[in-house]
Amino acid sequence: MLITSLLMSINQLLPVVILAVLLSLIVPLSQRQVLIHSMVGIAVSLLFVQGAAWVSQLFQHRGLEFIQMLLCVVIFVAALISCRHSKVAAAVALVATMALYLSHYMIYLVSFWHSKDAAEPLLLGTFLGVGICISFGVLLFFLLESIVRRAGCQPLIVLLALNATAKLLILLDLASQIDVLDITSNYLDWRGFVVENSELGRVLKALLGYEATPSKTALWVYAIATIVFLVLARVLNVKHTKEPVCGS
Amino acid sequence: MNKWIFAFTMMLCLPSWLAYGKEYTLILKDHLFYPAEIKVPANKKLRLLIDNQDNTPEEFDSFDLNREKVLYPGRTSVIYIGPLSPGRYDFFGEFSPNTARGTVIATEDKNADN
Repeated sequence: MLITSLLMSINQLLPVVILAVLLSLIVPLSQRQVLIHSMVGIAVSLLFVQGAAWVSQLFQHRGLEFIQMLLCVVIFVAALISCRHSKVAAAVALVATMALYLSHYMIYLVSFWHSKDAAEPLLLGTFLGVGICISFGVLLFFLLESIVRRAGCQPLIVLLALNATAKLLILLDLASQIDVLDITSNYLDWRGFVVENSELGRVLKALLGYEATPSKTALWVYAIATIVFLVLARVLNVKHTKEPVCGS
Repeated sequence: MNKWIFAFTMMLCLPSWLAYGKEYTLILKDHLFYPAEIKVPANKKLRLLIDNQDNTPEEFDSFDLNREKVLYPGRTSVIYIGPLSPGRYDFFGEFSPNTARGTVIATEDKNADN
């Protein structure tokens, strides 16, 4: 249970930490703002968990997927508007990401908390997972900050575009999972290259939305949505300000 | 006009209906999936019914199938998969990954489970 808690907490927390780091450099957000948004995100995730079982029964047992798909769209749009240095959009993106990912871990925590001898490994695994994710976040922050100093804000916008577009791949999978979208094109198999449940696979998945067996539709959506994000981000940024304030 | 719209819609849906496969049931009990291996026809869309008979939730997860769904206790969940190329596709319960494990094996029609 210790290892499961550790892996679960890393899987669910890493995407949140990565987005928080990206937004705190692009918008930028102070540590206090990130902390407040995180608290709100935890509260929203708890509410989500409370209503999840009920929501799951709506729309012919597809309610949960519809809510998750909506969250994916909200994250994509809010991340895009964040490129205009909007703190509100950054807060929305962060809270929606926490609701999407943390709710899974909270369901796990709440379910197994009362099991015999489970509390200790649950807590220990969670603390270790949180520690690893925060350490990764700090290292990523300094790495990206040095990139901003040398190359400006654009590499971060590209990374945010890839990260936000990855949420649309989740949307595609969810839509296909409940038979709303018919993805008939064959799946590609990259499992011989990087397996998704390896250490590198998990980091790539959280950072860029890597999938070892993506459909051709997913690849097209990924490419087109990334380009659309980058073009719109440029248009929004130019309209808003001539001088990017990224990292300042 | 409405007839033409109806006919056009039917035409669009036809390939999807033709490609549609069978329904398969998985049971989760004592943190184990039954059956642990399902043989399914390749290149068909399939409906997977998962009945969680445990008193704790589980999360159906598969990196190979790109599927992730919370299975609430005492409830049946539905997941659509495929069309799959022939091969093995592992899945597991994310909350009990050591015990709740299984594989979808996509093969030619004649070898698939009923």
